[in-house]
Order: sequence, then C-alpha cells, then structure tokens
Amino acid sequence: MADKVVRVADLWKYYDGDSQNGVEALRGVNIEIARGEVVALFGKSGSGKSTLLNLIAGLDRPTKGFIEVNGKDLRMLDETRRTRMRRTEIGFVFQFFNLISTLTAFENVHLSSELAKKADRAKTKEILASVGLAGMENRYPHELSGGEQQRVAIARAIIKEPLLVLADEPTGNLDTQTGTHILELLTSRCREGKMSLLMATHTPLASEFADRILTMVDGVIREEFVTDQPRP
Amino acid sequence: MRYPVIFVIKSFLIYLKRRRSLSLLQLLGIACGTAAVIGMTLSARSALQSFTDAVVFLQGRATHTMKRTAGPLDEKIFAELMHDKSVNRFSPVIDRKLKLADESLIRVLGIDPFLDRDIRPEIISMGFAQKKLDFFLDEKAVFLEAATAKRLGLLPGEEIQTFKGPLKVVGVFSNPSEEPLILMDISHAQDLFSLAGSVDYVDLILNDEAAFKNRWEKGFQIKSSQQKAQTFRAMVRSFRLNLEALSLMALLLAVFLIYNTTMFTVISRKKDVGILRSIGVSRKETILAFLVEILILAVLGGALGGIAGYLLSFFLTKIVGGAISNLYFFLQPAFPDWSTFIVVEGALLGCLAGILGALYPLTELVRVDPIEALRGRAPDRSGTKKAFNTAWIGIFIVFVSVIVFIVSGRHVYAAFAATFLFLLGVSLMTGIVVVFAEPLLKGFLVRIGGLSGRIAAGNIRQNLGRSSVAVAAFTMALGMSIGLDSMIGSFRESLSWWMGTQLQGDLYISTASELEVPLDFYKELMSDPRIDGIDAYRRAEIEFAGKTAYITAIRSHILKKFTNFAWFSGGDEHWDEVTKGDIIVSESFVRNFNIKPGERITLKGNKGPVELRVAAAFYDYTTEHGLIIMDRNRYIALFDDPTINSISVFIAPGNPQREKITETVRQMALKRGLSVFSREQLHNNVLQVFDSTFSVTRSMKIMTVIIAFLGIAGALMTLFIERQRDFGILRSLGFSTGQVSAMTLLEAIGMGVLSFVLSTLVGTVFAFILIKVINLRSFNWTIFFYPHWQPYLTAFATAVLASVAAALYPIWKVQKTYPHIQMREE
Repeated sequence: MADKVVRVADLWKYYDGDSQNGVEALRGVNIEIARGEVVALFGKSGSGKSTLLNLIAGLDRPTKGFIEVNGKDLRMLDETRRTRMRRTEIGFVFQFFNLISTLTAFENVHLSSELAKKADRAKTKEILASVGLAGMENRYPHELSGGEQQRVAIARAIIKEPLLVLADEPTGNLDTQTGTHILELLTSRCREGKMSLLMATHTPLASEFADRILTMVDGVIREEFVTDQPRP
Repeated sequence: MRYPVIFVIKSFLIYLKRRRSLSLLQLLGIACGTAAVIGMTLSARSALQSFTDAVVFLQGRATHTMKRTAGPLDEKIFAELMHDKSVNRFSPVIDRKLKLADESLIRVLGIDPFLDRDIRPEIISMGFAQKKLDFFLDEKAVFLEAATAKRLGLLPGEEIQTFKGPLKVVGVFSNPSEEPLILMDISHAQDLFSLAGSVDYVDLILNDEAAFKNRWEKGFQIKSSQQKAQTFRAMVRSFRLNLEALSLMALLLAVFLIYNTTMFTVISRKKDVGILRSIGVSRKETILAFLVEILILAVLGGALGGIAGYLLSFFLTKIVGGAISNLYFFLQPAFPDWSTFIVVEGALLGCLAGILGALYPLTELVRVDPIEALRGRAPDRSGTKKAFNTAWIGIFIVFVSVIVFIVSGRHVYAAFAATFLFLLGVSLMTGIVVVFAEPLLKGFLVRIGGLSGRIAAGNIRQNLGRSSVAVAAFTMALGMSIGLDSMIGSFRESLSWWMGTQLQGDLYISTASELEVPLDFYKELMSDPRIDGIDAYRRAEIEFAGKTAYITAIRSHILKKFTNFAWFSGGDEHWDEVTKGDIIVSESFVRNFNIKPGERITLKGNKGPVELRVAAAFYDYTTEHGLIIMDRNRYIALFDDPTINSISVFIAPGNPQREKITETVRQMALKRGLSVFSREQLHNNVLQVFDSTFSVTRSMKIMTVIIAFLGIAGALMTLFIERQRDFGILRSLGFSTGQVSAMTLLEAIGMGVLSFVLSTLVGTVFAFILIKVINLRSFNWTIFFYPHWQPYLTAFATAVLASVAAALYPIWKVQKTYPHIQMREE
C-alpha cells in the first residue's frame, strides 16, 4: 500500500502489567495516514496520543496490534532497523522542543541530516532560513525563544525529508500567536515536501491546518472527520 | 564533520566545560587514586632496585657465600679452600657495625685487597686509585663511602672519629645504595673488632656448587648469590604486599568516585540520550560518545595522577626506605627517575579505573528508555527496588568473601581479595541502609535544621542513586580509617603489653641491631656483685627449612627470674627445659614452619646437625620470620659463638642501691662507646620505630580520605546542578537563600553522619579482618584487639569536617545563583 505511509490496526498498549492490572493507554486503535496527508490527533492529556506517536516511531513496542510504516511491519524490525528508520523516514517535533542544549541551532539540524546521510551544509542553512532563523545558526538553544527553538526542531525534523513527521503537542509550550505561526510553518513545510504529518494536540487551533481530524478518548479513536478548508 | 557520532560526542563533551567544577572533581578523584598507586609502585620499585643494586655491588662477582650458621668462622679453613678444586676464587670478609662520634652507625667491611680484587674489582680499583700503600700499612686506614664522606665533610687524608678511636680516610668510593660504608684491610678490621683468627664469612666464586656443598655443608651455610637476594626480597614481601594493597584500596575508592560522577552523567544526560535516540542515533553511538567523555577525563586524570604519583614517590620512597631500614636491613632507596612512561602508565591506570567505574552506568545508559527520558527528569521511582536488588547482590558478595576467608587457609592474597569483596559487598548495601535510616536521619536533621533539615533528609532519600554512592565511598574511606587506626592502636597496645612481658631489664646496653658488646665488658659486669642479674643476648640470622629465621641466645635462669614471658600455654617452668638444652620458639616460627611445642627440629651446628626439642611457644613481635630462643651455654656449644649483641641488666625490685648501680653501669658502658637505654627509653624507641613503620599507612589513609571527600563534594555538586528546577519551586514558595544554603549544608552533614555511622560498623569489622586475618597471615603474629575510641572520634571529626568543606562550594553557588533562579518547566 504505497500511498499509505502509516497503517495501524487493533493497537493495544498496557503499561506496568497486563490488561487486568496495568494501565490501558491504547485500546484497539486503527488508523491509516496517506502520503502527504496532515492529520491532527486531538485528545485530553493522558488519552494516549503520545503513546500512539511513540509506537509509530518505533520508540516503544505495543502490547498487541499491527503497525506498518512505509510498508514495513514494525514487528519485524529489530532495534537497529528501527533506529535506521527513525534516521531516514521519520521526523519528530516535541512539545518541549528537545533540542540538544550543547549543540548550536545549526548543529542540531545538521546532526539530523548527518544521521540520514544527507548532510549538506548549504541545505542546512537554507532550511534554517526557510523557518525564519537566518542569522541565528550559531546560537545555542538557551539563546533562542520558545518559538525559535520550535522552529529549529521543525527544521531538524524536515531536513532529512522524511515520509512521516510526528509532532507531539508542537504548540503546547507556546503562546497562541507563536503557536499559530508554528502550525502554519510545520504544515506548510510538510505539504511542500509531500511529507505526512501526524500531530498530537489538544489545541482547537490545529484543526484549521489539518486535512483530517481524529479524536482520541481513553485510548480509543472516537471520531474522525475530514476538513474542507482551503489549504495554503 | 562527516560522521553524526562526532556531533553526539561534541554535544557530550561540552558538558565537561559547562560543568567544570564537577569535571574538576572527577579529574582530581581519578588523579588522586592513580597517584596513590603510581606513587606506591614507584617507591616499591625504586626500593627493590636500590636493594638489588646494593646487593649486586657488594657481592661483586661472588657466586656464593659461606658462613657458620651463627657466629664467625675460623680462618684456618682458608688453607683448605685454597686447595679446593671447586673454588676459583675466595675472599674472607669481616662485616660489622661501628659507631661514629655523631652516634650514627656505619658498616665496616674488612677485606683482603689481594683476594678481593677478583671478587669486587670495581670497589678495589676505585679505592686503590688513591693511597694504595697506606691501606696496607696503616692499621687505621680506611676507604670511605662517598656520600658518607660528603655528609661528614671529610676528604682523603682526614680522620673519621669513631667510638673505637679515629680512623684515617685514605680514599673514597661510591656505593649505589649510599649505605654508610667503610672498607679496611681485613687484618686491621680483625684487630679493631678483636676478631683475631676469625672472619664473618667468605665470598666465593665456585665452579662446581654441588661438589663444594658436598664437602662443606656440614657445619657451614653455603648460599648462592641468587638465594641471598631472594632471601632479602622474601623478607620485605609482606611489607610490600601490604603497601600495595593499601594503594589499591585508594584506587578502589577512585573507582567509586568515577562511578559516582559517571552515574550522574548518565542520569543528567538521559534526556539528551532520549532526544538522540528519537532522531535516530543508535545505542552504540551514544555509548561511544559517552565512553569518549569518560576516557578523556580518565586519560587526563590518570596522566595528572602519574605526575602527582611521581612527586608523591619522593616522599613515599623516603618513608618506605626508613621503614625497611628500621625493620629489616639498611636501605636508602634512590628517588625514582622521571620517565614519560609514568604519564602513560598513569593514563592507562586512569582508563582502567574509568572503565571499571563506568561499567555499571553504561549498562544504565543502554537501558535508557527514550520515552521516559523525553518526559523529563522525574525522580527514579525504582530507586528503592533497585536498592533492594543491589543489597541482595551485596549480601551475596559478602557471603562469598566470608567463604573465601574460611577456605583460603593461610593465603594472604586470598585474604586481600576477600577483604576487597567484603568492602565491595558492604558498599552495595549502602542504598538500602539509606532507605531504612531515613526516619532517623530526618529526625536528626529536623532537630538541627528545622524545615531545611526535613527537605535535606528527603533529598538524600529521593536521590538515592547519587547519595548512596557518595555515602558508600565515604563509608569505605572512613571505615578504612577506623580499621587501620584500630589495627595500629591494637598493635601498639599489643606491643606495649609484649614489652612489659619480655623487656623488663633496668638497663639495656647496646641493641641487637647495633654493635657487639665486648666480652671483657660483660665479664666486668658479671664480676660486680651489686648487680642482681645480667642477660647476655645474642641474635643470629639463620636459614631454616629454606627460609630466614633467627636464633637468640639468652641466659635462661636470668630471664626466668626477671621476666614474665607470654607463653602460648604453661608458665615459667619452660625456662627449666631451656636451661637443660631445649628451645622455645616464637609464634611466628610456629606459624611459619608449622612446628608445635613438643616437636623436634634439626639445626645445623658447627659440628653437624643437632636435634632440638621445642619446649614451648611464646608471643613475640621482634620478627615475622620466626625466632628460636636457646640458652647461651647451649648456643655456644652448638655454634662456638660467644658474641654478645646486647646486655640486659636487672636490679631486684626494692634494691636500695638501684639508682646508684644503674648509673655506675651506664657510665661504664658509655665509656666504651656503647649505647645505654633505660627500660622506658628502650620501650619508647621501639614504639618510635613502630610509629615510623606505619607512616606509609597513614599517608595512604589520608589519600583515601581526600578521594572520599572529592566523592562527597561531587555528589553534592551533582545534586545542586540537578536540582535547579526544585530551587525554582522553593524560591516561588518563599524559601530564602539562607534556608537553601542550610539545606545544602544539612544534606552534606546528613550524608557525612550517615557515612560515619555505617563506617563504625565497617571499620570495626575491617579492623577485625586486619588483625585476625591479614596481619596473622602476613606477619604470623597475633595482635590482640584493644578497642579504642580515638579512631571513631577521628572518623567522626573527619566526616563532619569533610562534609562541611564539601558543601562550601555548592553553598557559594547557591548564594550566587539562587536569588536569580526562575521556576521553569524545562
């Protein structure tokens, strides 16, 4: 299914034990994400959004169920192959930016392209400029504002041109105006690069930028609808 | 940069600079541990090398030495030696000590220059380059060792003042060991020491050892040069082993320190590792970056430790040389030569310690869950569970150590290994002790610090990963301090008790390690009816069952009357058996040769082997190699050696003329240039030698305390850096800078006091191990355990002072930064 970048079927995840004693983070999730599609995943804190993203990224293993990323069944991938997949096929954007504090903005972004074996210093500069950080390449994270740090994180995620970008509350730590700019930047870059985007969020603002909206409640996807807003 | 791992490494290395105070502590810890080992190894190596040089220099080309079991040998045998086909060359030697005017002792070698030129051509040619003829003709002519000549400011042609009159320096020669040494013609030496017709030994160059031994072994000891060197090395083996074990202990603490700071590095880097893993950095790459960071510190710290160890070796070499000279034989080791290899050695040792210390933290790094890590630095909820698991491993290791102690018999290396295992096992139990001790600790800290104390106690408990390692390292250092001090204290007390049983004379003229007492002086004293008892003491080194041992000749009926020997069993009736011809042996002899009272041993007498019955065994601390005591009459009959090394004068208690008599005897002895000591003086001298012997131990103990101090300082810095976010919360709640400083101080004191409490237990067990196992196996003597409160008080003071000192820098940082700290999510 080449046009489907992500396929998830009957995905369950328990923490600290089994279904009797443990916490059920996911309870039979099913979703598919098409190439270039922007999906917003709504849900309250603790509803299982981050767990789903971590499972799709291969950072965690499900209790049961099926995950396929770009045609690869994650159950069949060992740790090395999962790492390789994250290097080349998945970009991550976090709520708290999660930049390496000891690397400059340029180095944070360039590291990602190095890992994907697509290192090109000119391109790194270009990407940073495209997210509005021209001239700030040599600044360390603590020398940047929250919005600027998130721009670096976006640049880091998209520089390797992954098939899928996973964004976990990308605006959760930003004010509304900056959040809107970041969502605009993130979704537009993904669309330009034909990258699929799955962003977990609880801000209604995100719905304005998504092709499809999913709502997660207590580990289950309850609602799904397609937006008909004109896209940039 | 072509490889992503370079970025990862760079991102890690920047922390070294950012957290430079912590990096510095880590660096110093590695450096101190390495310095202790390098310093001690260099000193021991240098001592051994100097010793080998000295032996080689003085034995020259001699392949063998021939002597009586005890006492001088008759020069009549020279005629026979001259015609013995197995003898290529031989040279008789007088080897004695002489007291100089400044009270120092000098070794005198009397040689025949013609016979000796084939044995020691270098010395002879050095000396004979100067006034050759005077050496033969002038009975006072001597060649003087160059360093001694320099120390005394003497030039050829000048006189050296001795208690046997002036001697004329006709030449100087250099001696690599710098042992004060005089060479004189053998006939003049015989006159000087009243040894007409006798020599002490004969150096030989043999062409057929077996044939020679076959002809001469009856009544003589024939030792090859290698055997002689081995005997000397074996004499200091236990001493060296103990020193090296001490330095390894310091390294073990350094490993703890590295573990502590490395563990912190892993914990504080968990989030970075999580980020890196989420963007596709593999485990291998993060481990590599981490290892690079550790190895940079280890190499730098190790190299620094190498240099510091080299400098430390100057100090240690001096005290090691002093201790060996006091206990075994003269040794003035040359200071070690500088070599860049020392830095390499230090760096390698640092790397070894670094890797050992980083092993467990690395496994933690491998186990880092990127999802948990990305959620932030939440307190480790599994801390208590981990502490329990670690404690079980600790209990198992202690159990193994006990098994090793039990099954290892008399093997001292196994005992050392078991001791290390014990300390390791106990240190692994520290975490669980911190958990259980929390309520008590909280009570204590609240009492002295109120709210700050309550939070401090909670911090120690919550940050178990860091605090337990710091407490473990500090406990080990304090425990070692208590153990070593208790052992030394008990040993000192045992020695005092032993002196009280054996050394009961009112005056001691000369000592066993010094000169010979003239026989006519002994006779003069014997003729004085006012003296109630005189013991003539002779001590001779012998070879028994292939090992070194000593024979002491005494007057048994005198010792029976005036001393109170500490027997294994029975009482002074054993002296009657000694008077009849039996022997008594020291505890070290019993343990070293596995010979018990009632058994018989065979010694080589001058007229052939003699079987002697061991009547009893007694406690003794004069030698770890074994001591045989026999009556003087029996000794002279066996070895034809009337030499006296020392005389003890006994005056009956209540004798009204006591002071007058002792003063008369003292003056008589002084006139003859003999040292005279009262009982108290002798006891004090023995204790002084004892104290100087343990100065190396004390230096190593200080080193371990410094390393542990660095450990606790590192842990505090760690907690301070990690708790920036908590500080923000505390500030928002209205905590003053003073309260946070007090909290930091109380955390340090809490860890210090906890370490002290634990160390009292560890230290007492460690003292028990040192006394009952290590010392017994190393030195073959029993030390009685005398509990002292001073080691515990010293440890308490060290714990509190070191904790307060370790808190000073974090407190300064608190004062500087706390007023500006903001509460932040990140």
